[in-house]
Amino acid sequence: MMRQRRTWPIHLTLIAVSAVMLLPFYWVFKTSISGENIFSYPPNVIPRDPNPFYYVDVWYAIPFARYFLNSVIVSTITITANVVLNAMAGYALTQNFRGKGFVLLLFLSCMMIPFQATIIPAYLITGKLGLLDSYLGLSLPLFSTIICIFVYKAAFDAVPRSLIDAARVDGLSQWTIIWRVMLPLARSATATNVILSFIWSWNNFMWPLIVTRTPEMQTLPLGLARFLSYQEDSTGALYAFCIMVLAPGLLLFLMAQKEFVQGLSAGATKG
Amino acid sequence: MGPAKATDSKRVVLRRSTRRAILIWAFLAPSLLIFLLYRILPLLWNVVLSFEAWSPLKPAVFIGLDNYQEMLFDDDVFWQALWNTFGIIASAPIGIAIALGLALLVHSHIRGREVYRTIIFVSYPLMTVAVAIIWRWMFDERVGLINYAARSLHLVDKPIPFLNSFTWALPSVIAANIWQMLGFYMVIILSGLQTIPGNLYEAAGIDGANAFHRFVRITVPLLKPSLFLCFVIGMLNSVTSFDLIYVMTGGGPGRATEILITYIYKLGFNQTRFDYAAAVTVTFFILLLGITYLANRLSGGNAGAVERE
Repeated sequence: MMRQRRTWPIHLTLIAVSAVMLLPFYWVFKTSISGENIFSYPPNVIPRDPNPFYYVDVWYAIPFARYFLNSVIVSTITITANVVLNAMAGYALTQNFRGKGFVLLLFLSCMMIPFQATIIPAYLITGKLGLLDSYLGLSLPLFSTIICIFVYKAAFDAVPRSLIDAARVDGLSQWTIIWRVMLPLARSATATNVILSFIWSWNNFMWPLIVTRTPEMQTLPLGLARFLSYQEDSTGALYAFCIMVLAPGLLLFLMAQKEFVQGLSAGATKG
Repeated sequence: MGPAKATDSKRVVLRRSTRRAILIWAFLAPSLLIFLLYRILPLLWNVVLSFEAWSPLKPAVFIGLDNYQEMLFDDDVFWQALWNTFGIIASAPIGIAIALGLALLVHSHIRGREVYRTIIFVSYPLMTVAVAIIWRWMFDERVGLINYAARSLHLVDKPIPFLNSFTWALPSVIAANIWQMLGFYMVIILSGLQTIPGNLYEAAGIDGANAFHRFVRITVPLLKPSLFLCFVIGMLNSVTSFDLIYVMTGGGPGRATEILITYIYKLGFNQTRFDYAAAVTVTFFILLLGITYLANRLSGGNAGAVERE
């Protein structure tokens, strides 16, 4: 154990690393409320004359509300689908049935196929389904995720056998057992599912880029990239937009950090 | 369920186990359908498409290996993108090594380690497009923070146009990628560290092993599965970091930061060469499988077993 060791070098290193991790955020935030270091060199560390001008500017320059709404709709569909589908599949995998080995193998091999490596046929398939430029088309590929299925499987596996048997003796149907006994006990798995699928769909860029045709269907990341392409690089409005886009993810992460980290490591090691 | 009713008696005939099997497959069906539709089918379609000459509105013609021949012998951009992809893959161990160091530091009993963990991890779940914009600007020639710092410390005489330079563009993108992945690696390694029993270190300490020996002989071998996992996920994440490159450099300058995934996108959606893009995709996929297999072998071959419980 290293308890007796002096800890200040460790703190010093970690503070330096923390600075590297946080400084970009601070600088962007500072620029978004002052816009100053775009024109001034050397830059100031403390924002001078902070004001929300650029946020207002962004609000009027782009259909922020529309992008936001699209992102929220797509994320909501994705989260709902993930929770329902993954819970179902995860529950099925806790049972013994013929072909289980095959299904497991299929899932594990699907994990090795990055979605980005399938974009062209995926685009063609979505086109054939008539779902291009629609909310369903935007969210469908993310409807179920293998990692999250295994998170549910692990949570259901952890429910004591005796509890399920007792419920069965009490005359509860299979369905009621899942709904009233297993799901409430797998609450943390549900939290993980919600968080991970939110992050994935909220941050998703490549798929919306391919599938959306009209500006009305664009999600926040697309709007941000588009804004970048027609604004001069160094405007405060761009960074204000950045902050507005980052804020929801950041808030969610800070609120549910424990579930997030737990889910990620559980999903990664069990999946 | 009165046995008098004809329809109900039929239902009784359906044995319990059959009903259970139906329920199980009905539960699996939606997920399986999604994976079939968006993983398996695209993969197969890619393979088929790569042997064809096809574009929308034209019927497909089987052309054998022509696409592959063009890719391997007549396409400099493909090779450039391939090497850049290798470069990004090779950068994953750097990130993992840094994360390992950080994980060991925050794993020790110091005050405020939770805060450090949060700070290091916070960049991972954030939107990559926004992260790319932040870093694009950090690396900026005129107003970027990095150039400002380098000039203030007199490391350079004149600002470096990082993202417009053939030498610096790829390392810059890689740095931004590592910055975002660092927290993820750290979390995985930390969960691996927690599985190492503390008395192992105590025993080694009694035997007179110094810190370095303990690290090499205990920590690293026992962390192998976690490190392997970091590498595979990190690799998959890095080689598919389309958004980072799309926003930071767009593959430029020239083709200096073109990787396979951005090239596939451009081939497919800017040049409408779906068939040729499919051939590149198949190559890309084989590359990923090969590297995963190699990593698995290098990590002792049993990491997959641990992964599958």
